Amino acid sequence: MSDAVAEKPKAITSRHDPRFEVTLYKYIGVENSHTLEFYQSHGGYESAKKAITSMKPVDVVEEMKKSGIRGRGGAGFPTGLKWSFMPPVDGRQRYIVCNADESEPGSCKDRYVLEDDPHQLIEGMIIAGYAISATKGVLYIRGEYYLGYERLYKAIQDAKAAGLLGKNLFGTDFEYEIILHRGAGAYICGEESALMNSFEGFRANPRLKPPFPAQAGVYSLPTTVNNVTSLASAVHIIGKGADWFSGMGTDDSKGFHHVQVSGPAKRRGVYEVPMGISYREIIFDLAGGPTEEVKAFIPGGSSCPMFPFTDQYLDMPMEYASVAKAGSMLGTGGIMLIPQNKCMVDALYNVVRFYAHESCGKCTPCREGVSTWLPSMYKKMLAGLGEKGDLELLEDVSSNIRGRSFCPLADACIMPVQASIKHFRPEYEYIIEHGKSMYPRQSRWAD
Amino acid sequence: MVELETLKPFFAERQDVLNEILGRYPDYGRRSAVMPLLWEVQREERQVNEARIHEIAEILGIQPTEVKGVMSFYSTYHEHAIGKYHLQICSTLACSLAGSDEMYDFISEETGLVNGETDRQGLFSIQKVECLGSCTTAPVLQVNDTYYERVGKSRCQTLLEAFRRGEMPEPWRERYGDNEGAEKAKPLQNTIKTGGNA
Amino acid sequence: MKVKVNDVELDLAPGTSAIDAVFAAGYDVPYFCSQEYMSPIGACRMCLAVVGAPRKERDGSWTMDEATGQPKIFYFPNPMATCTTAIMEGMVIDTLSDVTKKAQGGMMEMHLINHPLDCPTCDKGGACELQDRAYEYGSGHSRFIFDKRHNEKHHALSELITLDRERCIHCKRCVRYFEEVPGDEVLDFIERGGHTFIGTVEEGLPSNFSGNITDICPVGALLDTTSRFRGRNWEYDHTRSTSLDDASGSAITIDARTGRIERIKAALNTQVNKNWIDDGTRFGHEYAASSDRIKTPMLRKNGKLEPVTWEEATLFISEKLKKLSDNQLGIALRSDATLEEGVAAKSLAEYLKTGQIDHYPRYASSVISANPASFNDLATAGAIFVMADATEEVPMVDLRIKDALKGVTPPTLMAHGVPIADLRLKERMPRKTNILSVAAPYRVDLMKYAAHSMVYPTGTEVEVLKQIIDASTDAGKALKESLSAAEKAVIVLGAFVLNSAEASKLADDLAKATGAKVMKLGAMANSFGLESQDVLPAKADYSYPNMLSGSAKALIVSGLNPAQNAEVAQALLKLELLVVHDLFENETTALAHVVLPAKSGYEKEGTVVNLEGRYLNVNPAPVDGGQAVDFTGFVKELGDALNERLEGRSVRSARRLLKKSLELDLSELPLEGTIASAKAGKVAGLKTNTSGNALLVPSMVRSEYLNRNAHLFASTGGNALRLHPADAASHNLSAHDVISVSVGGFKRRLSVQPSESVPEGMMLLPALPDQPVGLVQLDLNSIKKEQVALEVA
Repeated sequence: MSDAVAEKPKAITSRHDPRFEVTLYKYIGVENSHTLEFYQSHGGYESAKKAITSMKPVDVVEEMKKSGIRGRGGAGFPTGLKWSFMPPVDGRQRYIVCNADESEPGSCKDRYVLEDDPHQLIEGMIIAGYAISATKGVLYIRGEYYLGYERLYKAIQDAKAAGLLGKNLFGTDFEYEIILHRGAGAYICGEESALMNSFEGFRANPRLKPPFPAQAGVYSLPTTVNNVTSLASAVHIIGKGADWFSGMGTDDSKGFHHVQVSGPAKRRGVYEVPMGISYREIIFDLAGGPTEEVKAFIPGGSSCPMFPFTDQYLDMPMEYASVAKAGSMLGTGGIMLIPQNKCMVDALYNVVRFYAHESCGKCTPCREGVSTWLPSMYKKMLAGLGEKGDLELLEDVSSNIRGRSFCPLADACIMPVQASIKHFRPEYEYIIEHGKSMYPRQSRWAD
Repeated sequence: MVELETLKPFFAERQDVLNEILGRYPDYGRRSAVMPLLWEVQREERQVNEARIHEIAEILGIQPTEVKGVMSFYSTYHEHAIGKYHLQICSTLACSLAGSDEMYDFISEETGLVNGETDRQGLFSIQKVECLGSCTTAPVLQVNDTYYERVGKSRCQTLLEAFRRGEMPEPWRERYGDNEGAEKAKPLQNTIKTGGNA
Repeated sequence: MKVKVNDVELDLAPGTSAIDAVFAAGYDVPYFCSQEYMSPIGACRMCLAVVGAPRKERDGSWTMDEATGQPKIFYFPNPMATCTTAIMEGMVIDTLSDVTKKAQGGMMEMHLINHPLDCPTCDKGGACELQDRAYEYGSGHSRFIFDKRHNEKHHALSELITLDRERCIHCKRCVRYFEEVPGDEVLDFIERGGHTFIGTVEEGLPSNFSGNITDICPVGALLDTTSRFRGRNWEYDHTRSTSLDDASGSAITIDARTGRIERIKAALNTQVNKNWIDDGTRFGHEYAASSDRIKTPMLRKNGKLEPVTWEEATLFISEKLKKLSDNQLGIALRSDATLEEGVAAKSLAEYLKTGQIDHYPRYASSVISANPASFNDLATAGAIFVMADATEEVPMVDLRIKDALKGVTPPTLMAHGVPIADLRLKERMPRKTNILSVAAPYRVDLMKYAAHSMVYPTGTEVEVLKQIIDASTDAGKALKESLSAAEKAVIVLGAFVLNSAEASKLADDLAKATGAKVMKLGAMANSFGLESQDVLPAKADYSYPNMLSGSAKALIVSGLNPAQNAEVAQALLKLELLVVHDLFENETTALAHVVLPAKSGYEKEGTVVNLEGRYLNVNPAPVDGGQAVDFTGFVKELGDALNERLEGRSVRSARRLLKKSLELDLSELPLEGTIASAKAGKVAGLKTNTSGNALLVPSMVRSEYLNRNAHLFASTGGNALRLHPADAASHNLSAHDVISVSVGGFKRRLSVQPSESVPEGMMLLPALPDQPVGLVQLDLNSIKKEQVALEVA
């Protein structure tokens, strides 16, 4: 076997790589990019046409699998594999659900797609629908994104009028329609089974799994739930091929992701980056570096345990395995910098308060622990009433909550709490001992 | 109870809206319309009172208690009327790091209201809300359905003045990054290699 | 499937939950959200345990543990909620490890942080799952130093149920119960997270089975208002018995304290009522503790009833009886009399040589079916046709039909009883409404749950049944076909059919033609038993209505009040002897020569036969009834006066007689009762009205006692006259008016309830024992408004 294997080009892992091109976010922020006219004049709906007219559904799924894309909503489950879990076609209605209930603090990548490039998402949903033989799509958008809702509503109307949704798409007998559904302010709806309950008109408590959505999802029918940028990526994976996509990133994590840099950075914003990029490149080269001294950063939205702002973590490649190995999660890519002189206990109180507010109340550890006890403990410390033993109690109660709840929301709260204690224990000890924060509150409100 | 009898049904003269909403969902999923119907009522009346809960339940063929259970689950449906300008200050971490706590204090002082209150004239309601998904353009102030991003102190002042005049300024969308238009967001050429604490 | 719980190896059916495996092994985990007969949801997180299972390699062989040579056990990373975990082959469940202990202890602590410390004043104290489990699994002190959540402590969810919102631990049993069991989603969680509470916007929890939530609430949050603050659990005498409120034979627990009944709870009978009872049964007990109970025998002296001893009373009766010829004495029992009372009455009638004996109310046709359906037949039926107001006649039939709609068969009992977490049950299961057809002369409750329902003109049962048998209409044809096609079909017949011999015959023909089993809803708790024991007149002319209109010269009535009818009252005046055995003074005691104190259904010992033909024991609660006796006691006292040792002079004596005829020892019945075959009695001879402007309808709330059941009265507004709003307007009646009116000669006091569900031109009012289901003439000119509804400004 002496056939010379053509050397594979090195995968793109940096935005400095001249081969890298912003793709999914190419037209975000461009005037009128949300209109059908704009979208079509920039190559829109060509991928859907390609998939439907020249590929079999199973080929589309295979292409997705080959691309190596993993879900961009936070959990990172391989998208192609998820699609292949759908049961064989048996005459029942099948659904593809787009989870546009973006509400993880630190995340805003989906909002700009919804607002500025709604047709890209619609096209992605059509491709996904075709791949899993679903003729109905549900687009669940969080209630606060009203501009996105309006633009999607219009986009769906326009697409229908142009024959891009409805019957006989691209001259085939494939039909597809999208139900746009607006949430009303509940973080838990980002959890797929809670989202389905919410969509069906029930209280948005998470459901028991199994059955998983593929067996019994929306209206107990076979369903696949995907994140906004996972679906929008399908447009480009089909358009440019799986190899193009997997030409970015590392062995573990392929393609691009969207990082959202917030906190004290010069150029806070959303950046499309190849997987495998270092956090240093994101924070310093793309976001222009911190505007003040920073002590920690959250790698993927507030539920992901924070890392100290040190070389060890900054030089870590952004990929699922490395981040997990370092004790956190890639999450949604919401990178948040925490300034040196922000009291960590106060910062965590903010995080805890968020989850306390968003707990659905179904299970005991979350309702009583996350929603009641934890915020009380933080308030006590911040009020200067901390006592010896409070930190140990906080740790013990946290350990009683973690891994005990019905859905991951409680863990999403506990993990950052535990990480903050692990890395910044002295700040907790200080506030308990001195009755005041190591770093008093200071205004960062710009004029 | 008196109110129930004298209030005109909301959807009586909005049959087209009602039918459009019901038509979105499959027959077996009629109940899905509960959230859009609540939205419809709230947009018009700035609240959803008990009479409307009963009306929606009747339309969907479910119990009013179920409608109430659903409605109360979400943070953006209101049982009592909110002001003409519903000032929603995002207080979650990214906004807090960008000064939303100070923004709240400022708005509170300017309006004389605290979290959850509505003034007597029904002009302002102020409410601290959780993450609005505008973390890279923090702090964000959502007024009714409109986002005002990167609201500094002087902008906040300007906004409040506009509302008092009865104006609703265009939304502000200020950004860096690819979300500003990818063309403008090329990486910096001079990589900074320092900056860690270690 | 082999599983191992700690050190116990078990072989259990696939689909069993891990929590049931734990209990089957004799171990324990605490739990609050799971509840027998309801879906497991994994919300309380108390039943956490360390769980692991072996894995298979690609080739199907087990992954082996090299050290032990056994399949390697892969443990789940976190303790699992055993209630929502299905067992797997080779699963290992560890309920004793430190991880399990810490998980359970931590969860217990979180349950308690917001739970008030008012156990000393809580009605649930001493019988509280949270209290018991906290004692077993909790720590002795609290680490929660903050203010507990404060909320309403006395919230009346309805007139019958009080909610203490602070005590709620959000297990969701009550919310799930309403959706899963009766299918009335009238209670839900409101708000979310730590602010979540249960509430309703429907006034008064409109469900016929609301009270069950007070039984299943694991804490003292949901309480039966009739018994609130009336006693502590350890002070109550708990008596398991059978309800005499309807023909279902539902198991109840009677809780009495210092001689007074304080509350009724559902008891478990897996074959009959599972652990549910209807609200009429649960809350309708207050009359038994009413202060105006007759406590001693009374004899009319100089026109006035005066308390006397039993000896004096029975001596008086015996003297009178001696003067009677054969067949001059009439004896009538109410149809909820026990089998033993029926036998005693029969033996007395034989001794006194009279053929005039009857039980009442009863129908023109038999309530004993040739091919009877059991409750489990009903719950597993593939097609059900109900021609009745089943919800009001026998509420349990309504509830068990809803089991059939879910399509989940009754669970197989395990070593520890009913499975705690039946994984086949889910929240919001689709209901097979298509299998249910309901026909009645007005809109009945069950129609809400039926895909096919029909409101036919009152009195046209025969025509309706003919249409089905002849398949002469599309609906009739479809129904007949579905009954024939179903593997198991059940026809439920109520008073409207059984009142007509012709309709009953047609219904039996329909059953034969389709192969369906038949469930006949008896008029009262022991209609089946009394008929099967032939507590019936020797000939048609001796039926109870005939006794009242002249066939008897002397009359002994137990539990009946015939003098409510003015015409009958006149006739009774002519009697040489009128003996009334009852709980309260009434129109008939006012005419009686002798009045004897009777026992209520909660105080009797005996046996009833429910509508399945199931023999069930009735056990006496320790209640202060004065000198009250049941009918066997009366036979004993009368025998003493007659110097005779009469058969049926005690429950034991009656049972000796019954043992011979039934080959069944009624003193040794299992808790779930025994079904024995029975033959239909000779029931012919009752005439029913075929015309009238009002329909007497069945009611789950006993109309004869409603005035003395204060809480039920407040909840229902009293016995109602229901009529179409248009009719109400034309009769100048408005909602909540209280009227008195003459109905078929009975003076009735009714509260007006206009309702769209009543056909125009027909008025509905609840039947009474002496004025049973059927058509009747309501004298519109006799309407008097006693209380006019307040106008709401």
